[in-house]
Amino acid sequence: MTVLLAVQSVTKVFGGLVAVDKVDVDIREGSIASLIGPNGAGKTTLFNCLTGLYRPEEGEILFENQSLVGLRSDEITARGIARTYQNIRLFGRMTALENVLVGQHLRLHASHWSAILRTARQQAEERAARETGRELLDFVGLGGQAEVVATNLPYGDQRLLEVARALGSRPRLLLLDEPAAGMNPRETERMMELMHRLRDEMGVTVFLIEHDMKVVMSISENVTVLDYGKKIASGAPDEVRANPRVVEAYLGPEVAVDGPVTAQEH
Amino acid sequence: MPKSIKTGLIAFAFLSYLILVGLPGRTGGNALPLLAFAAALFFWYRLRRESRTQSRLVPQSGAAGQAKPGWEIGHGPQAQVQTGAVTRGGFPLRVLTQGAAAGATAGLLIAIVSAVFAEILGNGVAIQPVFDKIVPVNVAALLGVSPGAVAEAQVPPLRYLISALYFTGGGILAALAVLAGMTDAARAAGPTQWRSRLSGPAFTSAGRWLVIALPFALLAVVIWLGLPGVSLFGNDRSTVRLLFTLIATGSGLFALRAATPGRERLAVSVLIGLGVLCMPFVLDQFQNSVMGIVFIFVMMGLGLNIVVGYAGLLDLGYVAFFAIGAYTYAFVSAPFSSPYISGLLTGLGVPADSPLLGYWMALPLAMITAAFGGILLGIPVLRLRGDYLAIVTLGFGEIIRLFMLNLGELTNGPRGILEIAQPDLFGLAPEAVSGGLLSSQGWIFLLALVSSAAIAFVAIRLNDSRLGRAWIAMQEDEDVAQATGVHLVRTKLLAFAIGATFAGLAGQLYAARQINIFPENFSLFVSIDALALIIVGGIGSPAGIVLGALALKGLPEVLRGVDEYRIVAFAALLVIMMIVRPAGILPSARRRFEAAAEEAGAGEIAPEADETFVKKQENDKGTGADGEKGAMP
Amino acid sequence: MAGRSTSAQPLQLDWATVQKYAIRAFGFTILAIVLWRVITVGLAEGYPASFWISQALNGLVLGGVYALVALGYTLVYGILFMINFAHGEVMMIGGIAGFFALQFAQARGWMEGPWLVVVIALLSIMLIGMAASVLIGVTLERLAYRPLRQAPRLVPLISAIGASLFLQYSVLLIFGVSPHSYRKPELISGGLRLGDVFIPYTGAIIFFTSILLMLALYFIIQRTKLGRAMRAVAEDRATASLMGVDVNAVIVLTFMLGSALAGAAGVMLGFHNTVVKFNSGFIPGLKAFTAAVLGGIGNIPGAMFGALLLGLIEALGPSALGIPTEYKDVIAFTLLVLILIFRPSGLFGEVLSEKKA
Repeated sequence: MTVLLAVQSVTKVFGGLVAVDKVDVDIREGSIASLIGPNGAGKTTLFNCLTGLYRPEEGEILFENQSLVGLRSDEITARGIARTYQNIRLFGRMTALENVLVGQHLRLHASHWSAILRTARQQAEERAARETGRELLDFVGLGGQAEVVATNLPYGDQRLLEVARALGSRPRLLLLDEPAAGMNPRETERMMELMHRLRDEMGVTVFLIEHDMKVVMSISENVTVLDYGKKIASGAPDEVRANPRVVEAYLGPEVAVDGPVTAQEH
Repeated sequence: MPKSIKTGLIAFAFLSYLILVGLPGRTGGNALPLLAFAAALFFWYRLRRESRTQSRLVPQSGAAGQAKPGWEIGHGPQAQVQTGAVTRGGFPLRVLTQGAAAGATAGLLIAIVSAVFAEILGNGVAIQPVFDKIVPVNVAALLGVSPGAVAEAQVPPLRYLISALYFTGGGILAALAVLAGMTDAARAAGPTQWRSRLSGPAFTSAGRWLVIALPFALLAVVIWLGLPGVSLFGNDRSTVRLLFTLIATGSGLFALRAATPGRERLAVSVLIGLGVLCMPFVLDQFQNSVMGIVFIFVMMGLGLNIVVGYAGLLDLGYVAFFAIGAYTYAFVSAPFSSPYISGLLTGLGVPADSPLLGYWMALPLAMITAAFGGILLGIPVLRLRGDYLAIVTLGFGEIIRLFMLNLGELTNGPRGILEIAQPDLFGLAPEAVSGGLLSSQGWIFLLALVSSAAIAFVAIRLNDSRLGRAWIAMQEDEDVAQATGVHLVRTKLLAFAIGATFAGLAGQLYAARQINIFPENFSLFVSIDALALIIVGGIGSPAGIVLGALALKGLPEVLRGVDEYRIVAFAALLVIMMIVRPAGILPSARRRFEAAAEEAGAGEIAPEADETFVKKQENDKGTGADGEKGAMP
Repeated sequence: MAGRSTSAQPLQLDWATVQKYAIRAFGFTILAIVLWRVITVGLAEGYPASFWISQALNGLVLGGVYALVALGYTLVYGILFMINFAHGEVMMIGGIAGFFALQFAQARGWMEGPWLVVVIALLSIMLIGMAASVLIGVTLERLAYRPLRQAPRLVPLISAIGASLFLQYSVLLIFGVSPHSYRKPELISGGLRLGDVFIPYTGAIIFFTSILLMLALYFIIQRTKLGRAMRAVAEDRATASLMGVDVNAVIVLTFMLGSALAGAAGVMLGFHNTVVKFNSGFIPGLKAFTAAVLGGIGNIPGAMFGALLLGLIEALGPSALGIPTEYKDVIAFTLLVLILIFRPSGLFGEVLSEKKA
């Protein structure tokens, strides 16, 4: 399979602190990959570099062999990368459907004049966008909630809505920042199933940050481990699980290596 | 009972303020009962709150002494638990003595102060150079005697006693009213039922039709008042008619809201539209000129609403674009008022006193220059957020005004640009076309009305499109909006440019209305007025903006008679409004959602309120504000 | 792999870089124009050095007063994240109270007495002005701002605008339209002459008093328990209250401190401008707010520095650029706009925008 996203030696410095230190990651098209590491390891910082929120001091980010460094985040989204956030950042006052419609912003092209005049084409486009929005909500499992204001949704549904909004821009790569954080086992199950369906039915490559080891180990084909901004391991879940550096730096020496382990630093 | 004395002291402070601003002299001989009545209202409010909290605390902790001052305890869900049982015992007597004590405190202090004033004035000392309004007339009105009696120090001591008694009586009355209200409330088992009864089926049928019919009835009254030979309230007919016009227009918006969506709403809106459209033809010059300025501000408000309400960019320098529009039209309409342009034109051989462009030709020019100004301001402030944006835009507005003031060569400085042409109608004066039906100010009003409708149309449509969604998204979270694909620069600049275009339109019409414009017409207060009216009306809601403009620009004109007091009253209202109903009179659908969510949230926290200080505080605030909010449907 | 990609990077022409350089180029152009103007016009006028020095001293005096008012804005903003739009009016009321206190003292002849009496009387006048301002400031907080603490940020701003208008026009109604003029006592009406430079006593007194008050404030904030509590509340209100800080009390005390400084500024401005009237707080308030934003609102040393800078530029700018003094406000606001373009959160501003905007 081809490499969709290639992160090459990316470095991000805040003041004197090197948050991300020469990190390399390759994400193959059509895979589900994970990024793990203790809190403050630089995972979200790396995501922010990928989506253009931060600009890395050094290194190169290639998406479909084109550089993303220096692009604005909306340009990166236009290239086909969408993301969710660790601390849910929905447009709280808008309804679920409206959130997904904002997600589709880039895919709508009707001019503002046509919006004022409500031309047939603009109306058709809006209708289609609403239709797509409802389909996406159905897809993530929020079918009946289209008209609910985002802040009034339950926590787990808000996470799902973030995914639906991200899907609105028809991404090829979806970055999920701790999609299962704070969810109960049933909701986690749903989220994992959703990730599989994302890849299989939508053809979206998934790259996620996660603390729940059960999720990480069971779902991903490739795991990258960060510690203090440096990549300390990467590979298949089993390899990473067996890697003594990972065990030492991340899981802690006293944790059994081969059980279903969960992160201890919640 | 220190609490009632505190209440009395607060009342005294408030009354002293009224006395200091000279209200007694205004009301004439009725000052004393009027002030006592105002005090009684205040006592009633305080006593009711206090007795509510007491009756709530009694069953819970068994000690009424723990009751905190009323405002620190919100009307949480428990407020409805009160029963008739708690009002038994020494309760009525206590409320009565509290009311009397509060009244006596305020009354005695007022008596003492007025005695001091009367004594000083009687001895020929003028307090007036210090306190502008303390003249014998005012003091006499306060004591209920003739000004001569004060000037000659012949006020009978009995008068002081009577004035003290007035307030004590007010306090007792207030207490009685509270007691009556308590038993009523106990019988009705809380205010919830009352509220649900109001919005029940009975309300929806009869009340709704009443609301819908009201504006038409009022419009009919307005027309009737304009008929020759009709007299009402003597000489005040003109202002009364204006007031009715304002209320009719405002109630039209409520009627629209009350109508069920679909055919009924369409019919009501067409009828109201027609009714308002014929207003310019029936009103007189003064009423038309007031309505004209009201709707010019509606235009401004709608434009500013795009910037502030939709895109969330707090712009305090909005007057700049208004000024740009006005001066652009002024320059092309009355070019010979500007020394520089007139020099230029004379050089070119243009005959003096001829306008360059008429109103309609200048329209696109004013729009384009204002939009250009909007983009010019927008570019440097793209990176700024929140309050920094507010102050930079404020600075920009002031810079424009100062340029207008000081660039004497171009703008004629403080002497202004004079004799700006009125808009014509197919090359003719409006009076001639309409056969005398339409006065010049009526014509301006009509134009403002039509322009407002057009702007509202564009604003609503845009808000309903992907651009509108991008604005709201940007307002909520700039970074996420951009990461979702919103082009921030373009979206922000569009908001600035569209808002500025509308302000430019309003400015052009304003210049035509004023005929002569001066830099002082474009002070910071125009921006503040525009901002205040969209916030009072309900930010993000076009109907609210019309209402806000009617209230903030129209009502003060009705109150012209008490000119000095209207700004103070307006300012106080602004503060009270923000506390009581921060979402505006007619909030947009989005804001109503938000308020409802907040209310629900506050209710959830309530039971565990005692756990931490923070939560308790938030809860108090939340329920305190929302309790009031919830009272309105 | 790492070396290859990094070495290929240094000259990349993407949007962010272009924007950065465009802004820089714009800045240098403006700087160059200003410098050119100063050299060809301002300096070419050939004003003597003493003129520049006395203008600068004037600017420092004005800057000192602005600083006192700006501190009030910054303190309140630091804790509540709201613009206390009525702060200029709080200052004006201090000036009005000071005026009446001065009248009282003059009527009793204290202003012509021995110097000790005059000094004590002047101090008391300032204290009375401060007390009046504190009273108004605290009332304002209690009535107009406290009920709105949880509201969206536009709401307290409008409330503050309402309060500002209310105070202005109440003063107009109660004390009349005409300006009240401060008469300086004999003792401080002269001045020092150093060569060609004339330093009025009032100017010197105002400058040093404001420095003294600022030092006192800085001491309170850095060294006392109250200051610690204030900083804690500014940092994180919820956490501070969990740690046992009485947030309400801290907010009230903040308003008291800010208002006291504004009251002192009001009295001093009265002596400086020789008149106070109902709207005499508005423009200085606006300027002080500008100064607070210049320095990075919420930042105390920033406010002081911003105010002094603003005062200096206002005093020196018009002559240096060779334009009429009527444009001094234009210069002030243009400076503000320019500085915020290059440093979006003020000269010393921390990046507040992420958290609060």
